[in-house]
Amino acid sequence: MAKYDAIDGVFVALADPTRRAVIRRLGEGPASVGELAAPFEITLPSFMKHVRTLETSGLIRTRKSGRVRMCALNRERFAVIEDWLTEQRRLWEGRTDRLEQFVTDHQEDT
Amino acid sequence: MTTIDPTLDLTLQRVIRAPRPAIWQAWTDPARLQRWWVPAPTIARVDRLDVRPGGAFVTTMSDDGETFVPHTDSIFLVVEPQVRLVFTNAIDSAWRPAVPTPVPMTAEVVFAEHPNGTDYRIIVRHGDPADRDRHEQLGFFDGWGSVTAALTELVERDATA
Repeated sequence: MAKYDAIDGVFVALADPTRRAVIRRLGEGPASVGELAAPFEITLPSFMKHVRTLETSGLIRTRKSGRVRMCALNRERFAVIEDWLTEQRRLWEGRTDRLEQFVTDHQEDT
Repeated sequence: MTTIDPTLDLTLQRVIRAPRPAIWQAWTDPARLQRWWVPAPTIARVDRLDVRPGGAFVTTMSDDGETFVPHTDSIFLVVEPQVRLVFTNAIDSAWRPAVPTPVPMTAEVVFAEHPNGTDYRIIVRHGDPADRDRHEQLGFFDGWGSVTAALTELVERDATA
């Protein structure tokens, strides 16, 4: 189930306007936590929670550089969503294979 | 109504060499459905299959034939005999709005005549993760919170291992 936990984490991370705004901003290039927090009227500790959620989901990476924490997008992680859809497709393909097998086998019986 | 979002939805189409009534029956007769619903060796049990709009579609599954765990908990939205079957897990079989993981889906199964049998199509529409904002704001997000907590724990454990 680890795979589902990963996709859950990514979806939860994306299910928030502040976090989506951070993702969009990081799409333009790495930025410090201070720079990222500036447009939002929330306290730094609240903002840090969002950063941690994003980092936990794997969508961003952070790194301490002196006294500044730098954030960058981890683009590979976005593949999780694509992988999930591929997996759903496999599930439905498999289901259709089995249905096909079942109905064609049954036909030979009758 | 038939809009497809390629980033969230999937479609598949196949010609099955069997008549439409046979395929319809394989979907709507519990004894037949459970023969193909999950891949062997897992066993499916069809607990409820009330094939009419609003009717329950509930299955459980088991790896050992003794312990059954929830699998499908959906309702039918549209039932057009031998033509179309639509069900969703966004509302559970008790008609309670549900938040299935990772996102809710609506599955549409379309059966049409084909010279070689049946033209069989599936369209699965998945919920947009952004739709969860409202749940979060309304404080309905506890389930997800615990999932995130579990993920955090998992990630942190991996990081220290």
